[in-house]
Amino acid sequence: MSSKQTKTGAALVFEVLQQHNVKHVFGYPGGAIMPIYDALYDSDVKHFLCRHEQGAAFAAIGYARASGKVGVCLATSGPGATNLITGLADAMSDSIPIVAITGQVSTQAMGSDAFQEVDIIGLSLACTKHNFQVRNVNELAEVLTQAFEIALSGRQGPVLVDIPKDIQMAQLEQALELVTSSKEENEPIAPANVGSALALLSQAKRPILYVGGGVGMANAVNELRAFIHTTGIPSVATLKGLGAVDCNDNCYLGMLGMHGTKAANLAVQESDLLIAVGARFDDRVTGKLAEFAPNAKVIHFDIDQAEISKRRAVDAAIMGDLKVNLPALAMPLTIENWRQRCQQLATEFCNDYTYLGKGIYAPAVLKEISDTLHQQNMAEHTVITTDVGQHQMWSAQHMQFSQPSNFLTSGGQGAMGFGLPAAIGAQVSRAQDTVIAICGDGSFMMNVQELGTIKRYQLPIKIVLIDNSKLGMVRQWQQLFFEERYSETDLSDNPDFVALAQAFDIKAKVITEKTQVSDAINEMLNHQGAYLLQVKIDAFDNVWPLVPPETANDKMIEKIS
Amino acid sequence: MNSQMNSQMKKQMNSHTLRITAENQPTVMEKLLQVARYRGFIVTGMTMFPEENNQLAIELSVQSDNSVEHLQYQLHKLIDINNICVDNNATMQNLA
Repeated sequence: MSSKQTKTGAALVFEVLQQHNVKHVFGYPGGAIMPIYDALYDSDVKHFLCRHEQGAAFAAIGYARASGKVGVCLATSGPGATNLITGLADAMSDSIPIVAITGQVSTQAMGSDAFQEVDIIGLSLACTKHNFQVRNVNELAEVLTQAFEIALSGRQGPVLVDIPKDIQMAQLEQALELVTSSKEENEPIAPANVGSALALLSQAKRPILYVGGGVGMANAVNELRAFIHTTGIPSVATLKGLGAVDCNDNCYLGMLGMHGTKAANLAVQESDLLIAVGARFDDRVTGKLAEFAPNAKVIHFDIDQAEISKRRAVDAAIMGDLKVNLPALAMPLTIENWRQRCQQLATEFCNDYTYLGKGIYAPAVLKEISDTLHQQNMAEHTVITTDVGQHQMWSAQHMQFSQPSNFLTSGGQGAMGFGLPAAIGAQVSRAQDTVIAICGDGSFMMNVQELGTIKRYQLPIKIVLIDNSKLGMVRQWQQLFFEERYSETDLSDNPDFVALAQAFDIKAKVITEKTQVSDAINEMLNHQGAYLLQVKIDAFDNVWPLVPPETANDKMIEKIS
Repeated sequence: MNSQMNSQMKKQMNSHTLRITAENQPTVMEKLLQVARYRGFIVTGMTMFPEENNQLAIELSVQSDNSVEHLQYQLHKLIDINNICVDNNATMQNLA
């Protein structure tokens, strides 16, 4: 054991983490990171042992997204580090600030194909905002500080710090000084191009606000809502933008894009001015790009210059902090006819929950959970996470969120297995709040080992397992676009999920009929500890409406013809 | 890339030269090349020259139908890149 009098690189890691107010980290030990885990033994930082490094990375992401802080995960070299990659890619696509610390073989062994050696710097180049390999213990504190600054600055993202084992064990030559941020607070400056944007806005007859994940990340939800209040502008949101607009606004039309509402897509197609706020014209949003909002001029608010005119040419770009820039454009508009048109679309294409027979309709279950949370004033204090697939789109369509930080889903990457570990991170960061993971039976099995983490830390996470015994979204596409050739999408040999949950001391129940739904939701929400509610649904229920691939967004299909 | 294919590409695609100043970090060239490839650019020439203050002067010639401004913006996001400009009059010899 190292003496308390001397300080090692490993001990320094936790000192710097504490300087950055890190109280919780997620990780998995192994050979090349053992000195750091040894230092953890004496540290006040609370470590959560996940059961796979991918789970640790997703937990760090859930932690960051639910709290607005940097999420931290630890892994050893080689396979430990490679298991983080999917999480890093997710954080890169969705601009989530996490710091991943990996152990590395000792510097003298590096480059020799040593045991558990992998070039994680090379591997993570494409899925990190930046990465560092520490070669001198005296640089360690500065590198870690830079990692936190980079993760949080501008467009946020993941940073990896690779620390060889001998650097972790090396004695520090100099005393650590409290490293303060070298960055100065930016004075709010009036953005450029406001004049041309104001001109476009004042001339527009059918303007619409296209709200992306950037609003929540910029902590600009209040500014966005004030902008909508002042202008009266109708709005739509991306998957990551859900929760930013007040869901009671009668000109808010919900999600746009492939599985958006018909009202949202038609309104965007009819608009003459599209104001993108922290959004990036993703292919799942635009459908056939050449026919997306064909008559609209575009104003684009963003913090990343590289997003401007990347997929859609922009008429006015307003770069920088949304908190500063959104108010600069807020002015009352005379668009009553357009507002009425949007309200008419919302009424005409409102959701229909009619479902014949005794079976359970998943959208109705999700709506009831959401309505219950709102009725019981729990919505502000509830985080919903999802996996990826049909249940994810149903959650986006049929649940309402009071803040973007209350809806955590893997957007850009669509990473299955996200929901359970992200819920763990969210629950750790917001211990007093309710966390509900909406999972699919396919995705659930991808990180099912994290039930062990829930058990170990007694996390009261509620799991709603929407079970159609299929890889439902792929099955739906096979039905619609691949001549019903159901290749490798049958999961009818799933395990007994109730028994599986119970094996981890998690209370569990299965429901199969719609008459059971309300009682089951109440039982789940009122249960003190973790709970798994398995909801059996028809294997052939589809997500509607849908814009087929490479099709304009006004050509949505609503059922099988 | 064989020379025949390379000459075909040259006929079809726009060529550009980027002048870049970067921190002299071990990973900076890899990052530069990775972004150029991912964003759809073929690197046709490259020189690199260490300067004072731990800086690197890099000249990168690329071909693509994609907008070179977008490559410029993407490269500019790399933490170790300090300055970048498109200089289509530059030649590899200028640097030496």
